[in-house]
Amino acid sequence: MEVNNLKTYFFTRSGVVKAVNGVDFKLRRGECLCLVGESGCGKTVTALSILGLIDSPPGQIVDGEVKYNNLDLATCSPRQLRQIRGKEIAIVFQDAQSALNPVLTVGDQIIEQLQIHLSIKQGEARNKAMTLLDEMGIPSVERVMSSYPHQLSGGMKQRAMIAMSLSCDPQILIADEPTTAVDVTIKAQILDIFRELKTKRQMSLLFITHDLGVVAEIGDRAVVIYGGEDVETAPVSEIIGNPKHPYTAGLIECLPDISKATDRLTSIPGATPNPVELPRGCSFHPRCPKAMEICSRQQPPQIIISDGHKVSCYLYQRST
Amino acid sequence: MTERLQDIARKIVGPLYSNRRLIKYYWKRTRRNKLALLGLAFIMFLILLALIGPFFTLDPTLANFEETNFPPMGFAAEKSVYSIESSELTTTTISGIWKHPLGTDSKGRDMLAMIISGARISLQVGLIATGIAILLGTIIGVLSAYLGGWADNVLMRFTDVMMTFPFFLLLVLIVFIFGPSLAFIVLVIGLTGWTGTARLVRSEALSLRTREFVTAARASGASDGRIIFRHLIPNVTSLIIVIATLSIPGVILAEAALSFIGLGDPTVASWGIILEAGQHSLDTAWWVAVEPGIMLFLTVLAFNFLGDGLRDAFDPKSNI
Repeated sequence: MEVNNLKTYFFTRSGVVKAVNGVDFKLRRGECLCLVGESGCGKTVTALSILGLIDSPPGQIVDGEVKYNNLDLATCSPRQLRQIRGKEIAIVFQDAQSALNPVLTVGDQIIEQLQIHLSIKQGEARNKAMTLLDEMGIPSVERVMSSYPHQLSGGMKQRAMIAMSLSCDPQILIADEPTTAVDVTIKAQILDIFRELKTKRQMSLLFITHDLGVVAEIGDRAVVIYGGEDVETAPVSEIIGNPKHPYTAGLIECLPDISKATDRLTSIPGATPNPVELPRGCSFHPRCPKAMEICSRQQPPQIIISDGHKVSCYLYQRST
Repeated sequence: MTERLQDIARKIVGPLYSNRRLIKYYWKRTRRNKLALLGLAFIMFLILLALIGPFFTLDPTLANFEETNFPPMGFAAEKSVYSIESSELTTTTISGIWKHPLGTDSKGRDMLAMIISGARISLQVGLIATGIAILLGTIIGVLSAYLGGWADNVLMRFTDVMMTFPFFLLLVLIVFIFGPSLAFIVLVIGLTGWTGTARLVRSEALSLRTREFVTAARASGASDGRIIFRHLIPNVTSLIIVIATLSIPGVILAEAALSFIGLGDPTVASWGIILEAGQHSLDTAWWVAVEPGIMLFLTVLAFNFLGDGLRDAFDPKSNI
C-alpha cells in the first residue's frame, strides 16, 4: 500500500483545519511501519483517511492518493471501499471499550464481522470466532463469546477487538495506539500478539503510536509525523540511533535514561502547532533549536540521507 | 430454517437469560418505586382480564329488556315504570343482583361483560397505534440522525409540520369520508403520533453516531442499513420502551375522546363508546358512564406510573 501526498482538511467555522497536510509513505508486505508523532499531529486522521472514514462534512480528503492493489482508496466508490474495509484492510482502535457495541455480545460482534464479508453459516462463523479468540490467548473462550463488553477487562476487550479485526484475514492491519489504554503487562502481551501476526501471517502492520519504546520493540521502519507532514522516514534502528530531523532528535532526547540521574525530564519547548494556522515554511521552525533563516520562508525539500532514510530539513541540503 | 429460528430465539431470550444480573438490577430499581409496581400489577391484571375475561362473562351484546338499568352490587336505585293499563307511574327501588355485579345499562346488557370486552378493545387500540407510532418514529429519528445534512433537515421539518397538523381535524375528516371504523382510527392515531418519538430518538442517535463503535462498524465494512439496525436501534431500546409506555395512555384517551364526541366506531364497545352511551342516562343510571370512566382513569394512571418508574430505572444518573 502506498500513501502519496495525502491531505485531509476539516472545514470548520473557525477556519480550515489542516489535520493531514501531505503525508507520504509506503507499506511493504509483511513489514511493520510505525507512524510516530505527538498528540494532534494527524496520525489518527491519516489512518481514518486511508479507510475513507473521515466524516464529511466537515472533513474531506482534498488531495493525494491511497494506492492499494491498483485502486485509489481516496477516490473509489463507497461500495468498493466497503468491500475493502475489514476484509483487506482492518483497523484496531485505541479504546476497545468504546469501539465495541455495548448492547451486543462479543461473540455476536465477531460473528457479524465474519458474515459481512464471508458467506458462511451461523454455526461455522461461531466456530471460527472461537478459534480466533483462542488464538489471541483468551482462556475461557465460551464465556467471553457470550459476554457483553462491560463484563470483560480492558486487556480482554482489546484482544477481542484484535480477534475481530483479524477475522477476515486482512492483508493490512492498522493499529491506532492499541497499547495506550491498557496497562504495562497487557501492553507487553498485546505487542507479542502483533509480533506473532507479522511473522506467522505475513501481515503488513501500520502501527500508530506516540511511544518510541513501542516503536523500538515492534517496528521495522518508522515515519515521524509533525504538523500533518512526514518529516523523517527511516528504518527504526536509524530513527533511534541516527535521527536526522531536529524534531526526531528531540523526541529521542526526551526518552528518560535510567543510567543518568536527572531531576527533570527533558522536553521539546513549545506546543504542537495549531493546525488552522500552520507556521510558514517548515512547520517545526518555531520550536527548532537549529532553525535557520530560510526555514521560516520556504517548505524544506525532502532529502535522501541513505537508502530508505529521508528527511525534510534544510540542515542536510549541502551534504547531499 | 430451524437454524435461523434458533438464532432468533437465542437473540431474544439469550440476553434476558445471560443478562440475569442486569434484568435483576433494573427490576430492583423499578421495584423501589411502589407506584410503578402498582401500575405494573394493574396493567397485568387488565391484560389478563382482556385475554381470558370474555370466556367467563355474559355476552356483552345480549340485550335483555326485562333487566334494564340494574345498579351495581351494593347500590340501590329507583326505577319508575309507567303502566299503560292503570295509567300510573309506579316507582320501585331495585338493588344490584349477583347476576349483574356491575349492573346493566338501559338495554339490559351486562356492564361487567361490556367493561371487559371494552378493556380488550382499548388495549388493542393503545398497543397497535403506539406500535405503529413507535416504529415510524424510531426509523425516522434514527435515519435523520444517521444521514445528517439535508436529509436530516427534510425529515425534521416534515416532523415539525406533522406536529402542528391538527390530527383531530384529520380524524373528523376521515370519519366523515370513510365512516367510523376502528381500524381507521387506530391507523390515523399511529400515523400522526410518531413525531415526539422521532425527535427523542433522533437526539439520542445523534450522540450515538459519533461513538467509536459506529466508526468501528463502518471500518469493518458494515453497510449503512446494518449500522442503523444492528448498532443504533438496539442502543435506543430503553428509550423506546419508556416512550411507548408513556404514550399508550394518550392513545387510549384519544380513542375514548373520539368516541365520546360521537366519532367512535359504534360497532365495537370500547370504553369510550360505553361512556358516550352512558352520558345520556346519567340521571337514571349513573353507573353506565362512571364505570368505564373509572377504568379509563385507572388504566391511564397505571401506564403513567409504570412509565415514570421505568424512566427512572433506566436512567443511570438518577439515584432511586
